[in-house]
Amino acid sequence: MKTFMGVIEELRAQGVMIVETFELHPDEVVIRLKLEDFHRACLFAHKTFSSAVMAMFAADERVAKNAFEIYCVFLARDFQKWCIFTADIPQDRPLFPSLARDIHSASFFEREIQEMFGLEPQGHPDKRRLHLHDEVWPKGLFPLRKDFVLPAHVAPDGVYGFNRVAGEGIFEVPVGPVHAGIIGPGHFRFSAAGEPIVNLEIRLGFTHRGVEKVFEHKTFDDAVGLAECVAGDTAFGHSWAFCQAVEKASALKVPARALYERAICLELERLYNHFADIGGIAVDVGFSFAAQFASVLKEKILRLNQRLTGSRYLKGVNRIGGVRRAFSRQDIQALLCEILSVCDDHGELKQMLLASVSFMDRVDDTGVLRQKTARDLGIVGLAARASGIAVDLRKTFPDVYAGSDFRMITQERGDVLSRLRVRMEEVDESARLIIYFADRLADIEGALAANFSLAAPACALGAVEAWRGPVLYWVKVADGQIDRCKIVDPSFHNWPGLSFAVLGNIIPDFPVCNKSFDLSYAGNDL
Amino acid sequence: MKIPLLLLQAGIAVLAAPLVSGFVRRVKNALRMRQGAALVQPYRNIAKYMRKEEVVSETASWIFRWTPSVVLGSTLAALMFVPVFSFSLSAAGMGDVLSLFFLFSLGRFFLALAGLDAGSAFGGMGSSREMFIASFVEPAAVLAVAVVAAHSSSSAAEPLVRSMGMSFSGMIAAASLFMVVLAETSRIPVDNQETHLELTMIHEAMLLEYSGPSLAMLETAAHAKQLIWFSLLGAILWPWPIGSSSGLSAVACAAFFVLKIILCAIVVGLTEIGLAKMRLFRVTDFLGLAFLFSVLALVVSGLGY
Repeated sequence: MKTFMGVIEELRAQGVMIVETFELHPDEVVIRLKLEDFHRACLFAHKTFSSAVMAMFAADERVAKNAFEIYCVFLARDFQKWCIFTADIPQDRPLFPSLARDIHSASFFEREIQEMFGLEPQGHPDKRRLHLHDEVWPKGLFPLRKDFVLPAHVAPDGVYGFNRVAGEGIFEVPVGPVHAGIIGPGHFRFSAAGEPIVNLEIRLGFTHRGVEKVFEHKTFDDAVGLAECVAGDTAFGHSWAFCQAVEKASALKVPARALYERAICLELERLYNHFADIGGIAVDVGFSFAAQFASVLKEKILRLNQRLTGSRYLKGVNRIGGVRRAFSRQDIQALLCEILSVCDDHGELKQMLLASVSFMDRVDDTGVLRQKTARDLGIVGLAARASGIAVDLRKTFPDVYAGSDFRMITQERGDVLSRLRVRMEEVDESARLIIYFADRLADIEGALAANFSLAAPACALGAVEAWRGPVLYWVKVADGQIDRCKIVDPSFHNWPGLSFAVLGNIIPDFPVCNKSFDLSYAGNDL
Repeated sequence: MKIPLLLLQAGIAVLAAPLVSGFVRRVKNALRMRQGAALVQPYRNIAKYMRKEEVVSETASWIFRWTPSVVLGSTLAALMFVPVFSFSLSAAGMGDVLSLFFLFSLGRFFLALAGLDAGSAFGGMGSSREMFIASFVEPAAVLAVAVVAAHSSSSAAEPLVRSMGMSFSGMIAAASLFMVVLAETSRIPVDNQETHLELTMIHEAMLLEYSGPSLAMLETAAHAKQLIWFSLLGAILWPWPIGSSSGLSAVACAAFFVLKIILCAIVVGLTEIGLAKMRLFRVTDFLGLAFLFSVLALVVSGLGY
């Protein structure tokens, strides 16, 4: 059995010069490389750990060392470690070798680094802007650099070039960014031959708010609140991932009681979102009765959230070091009762949907994302599990889930039905977990949060398997403040998956494919 | 004497038609345990559109401007051919039940053109889908009515319905016509009136570019068309007591008529609740089945049942 460091030795044996290795946290190894070895090392990790690029980002360290830092995060599942490569990019030569041609999941990250820091990914096949639209943002202005000042007037002059699909009978259908429903803004450009979709190009970034910039120099308490607002439907997942990062950076031991409460909240968040999506899928194929049923279940969970935490969307629960509020015995009783009753109703809902011929005809074999495609694109979370990729951070890093006998849900076919089935089974599993955690919680007394005080400058990665997939926060703290915060919402990985899943499907089936992924605009655009 | 009465009949029918849509919605919402909009909501919508400003796409030609009038006009004319309460123009020798389908086709033709005319991507999709579905709807509908015509040896609407009575072939034709009605009134499983998803729309997609009074006209026409289909279905399923010769007073006739429409509305509402919308290309199977029923009904009626 190889050890993680043994694998890294292999890398060294291949001639990659490893400058430094930090093992600051048990589940996280940072390996400093020379920039010229960066590409080779990343490729090695990508293949050895069969991991997508889970995050890739830069940091502006020009004041300290006249250089930018670039980071690339891989998940070494077999070793239960995050493997983070980093290298310095000298400020007078702002270039780095692009990974995008070899690792697709690096592509969007590199485009993001390019527009945010002005670091050019050399050899990247697609250097168009991602979030800072050419129509509104001028060239040569890089907001995540430390010396960035927002000018009073900007004079943008660019236009975005969409990919063109030409051919007899091919026509384009542009949809959005403003949609008919109450959803986020995104532009979808279909190239269709009759009804079947030949190509779908998704342009996002309309809700770019500069979240990562706003994090810088925030106090920690404020930053927790900010993390809750990054993606509204994953408020808890985001705040936990952020808290986890800061807690790791300051070597804080979170009390078990807080961890159980957090786990309950995370699963409640999963429940209400899964119900919303099960209902949403039913709405999008016009099966309104089942949709109504699902919305009742969602509402029950939201009210439960309100009762337990005072917030329907689980905001204001987390704080650095633990949680703010204790669940009382009565609350836990109510929680158990309600979860059991919702579980029963969910059984009925499942039966109603899966036994309806007209419904099954719509979802079965629709929007297939094949496992190979999903792997190549670096799809994560629920969508990946529906395509047969068995990755779940709750399994890889059990932590509070250890002892709960957590069962990862996977499906093989990657169609809308598979994603629906993953949701349905995860609902049952989450309900079971909540009951387990609630039982544990009932026996525990003690502090709700550890005392937080930040000693030394440090950085750490926080990661939580939220309902949509892994939410990653890489936080660097210096001078008692947040110096850099990189956020990766699973939506950022999965949007390309949608463009591939819809190929060959007819245009009227797009909404249900889209809903089966249910990706966040806000979490993607940041 | 007949003409003013006919106009009166058509006028009442147009005014009452939105109520039918409102009622179907009530039925659906009651089944979904939802409060839902009031029965008169369709009227409120029309009143709202009448007050609103109209926006016309720059690329639109006269077709776009005239289509609402053509659609509403042809639907109103179609209304004359159907013995809604008691009288039918066909009896006055101005046409028969086939004219009804031609009038519908005229409206459909213009609406499809208008969908393309406005130059939006959705209109074109709606138009192409509408024509695709129409090519399956029309044969099934014409054949279903032909069954009834075969009974009375006439395609004139009034004697046609009066002479029919309940028959086995009539029931099969009604089954076919029911499927046609779902398609023609843009209901699940063919279309979905409630959806906000432009990409899945059929009828609504063609109307997306319309606003203000034009939209009001098109919606009124859609309500009236639905009433025509419901009454046709009702007339074939329960052929009595239509026509002046049944010996009943006009009031009783009207009461029976309303009852039939309510029954149709409830059945349509139940169907919509119980099913998911079909994948677009499955609609051919569905309407193909309707066509098959029509043919079967014709054969059965040829055998004398």
